[in-house]
Amino acid sequence: MSATDDQKVTLGNYIALAFAVAFFSGLLQSNEWYGVFDFTTLNGTFGSIAGSGMFRGAGGDGARDGFLFALTLVPTCMFALGMINVLEHYGALKAARKLLSPLLRPLMGLPGSAGLAMIGSLQNTDTGAGLTKNLIEDGELNQEEAEIFTAFQFSAGATIVNFFSSGAVLFTLTNADGSMAVPTSIGLTVGIMFIFKIIGANVLRLILKAQGKKVNAQAKVA
Amino acid sequence: MAQASKKMITDVFVEGARKGWNIGAMSTIPNVMMAFIIIKALNITGALGALGALFEPLMILVGLPGEGAAVIMGAIMSMGGAVGIVMGLFSEGILTGEHIAILAPAIYLCGSTIQYAGRILGVIGTRGSLYPIMFAICIANSFMAMFVMNLFFV
Repeated sequence: MSATDDQKVTLGNYIALAFAVAFFSGLLQSNEWYGVFDFTTLNGTFGSIAGSGMFRGAGGDGARDGFLFALTLVPTCMFALGMINVLEHYGALKAARKLLSPLLRPLMGLPGSAGLAMIGSLQNTDTGAGLTKNLIEDGELNQEEAEIFTAFQFSAGATIVNFFSSGAVLFTLTNADGSMAVPTSIGLTVGIMFIFKIIGANVLRLILKAQGKKVNAQAKVA
Repeated sequence: MAQASKKMITDVFVEGARKGWNIGAMSTIPNVMMAFIIIKALNITGALGALGALFEPLMILVGLPGEGAAVIMGAIMSMGGAVGIVMGLFSEGILTGEHIAILAPAIYLCGSTIQYAGRILGVIGTRGSLYPIMFAICIANSFMAMFVMNLFFV
């Protein structure tokens, strides 16, 4: 895969992206018919055993409780990655790249050619790092740009896959009275992570700028 | 790509779900189990309480009990492990749903950085002098995210 390939983005790809955003945002979470378009609704709940509590039971601890609890995470992880695979198949990520590439310069001072590596890095750290290395070797990124881009990737690495394979399940927790425990949504959490990834990259951008000035000043004195 | 589009949507879903199964079996279950064992060990030795007391002045700034620090420390090693710690502390009644909302983005922002130092910084070839700055940025991101979540969304 070239680090900067450019494929055509169709209307269908944008629809897939819009669907992805709506599906994971939590906005349509409901037991009405439109709940069919919501991840948490379709993810469902475990049944209860003997009238109360689910198969994990209550009051356990240590390795055994950890194992049973971890089992409860697996269906959410499988469902989320299955859906992400389908949305990716319909070009949702291609559309996201098309929309985000022109924003890379104003947001982080990076060229649009880094779009593919950026989207890749949201799914898999090794893909992101490999594509970034290619961009450096092809001369698409200079050292400073590469370092800023690395800071973006390093914080919340492989955000989408990591979050949906473990963090999404936090939003299915219930209180003792059966109400949802966590008062925010998957969509808000992903949005906050994305914003702080960009802020972190810009913090490094400022640090590099400050260091550059210092080096220049020293060079002048010498 | 032309070949890929001939696949049935159900096959595409199953292929992704299989990836999810592999992550679940190979990474989530062992990591979460380890986290539960660590919590149990910290709990019976009284170290969890000590950790909570030690970090309380810091964590209070972001609306969390001191034990929340254990989640962030766990996250630096493994994101999945940190989620396990959250679940353990939730079952113990130490963390509430509101605390989890504050912690959720923070876990990932500094998550698995020890592993990713090799897999991201190493592969890209980041100069050694930037490593501490990269780690510091991730931890700062986490604290800023917790601060914002606590202030505006919980």
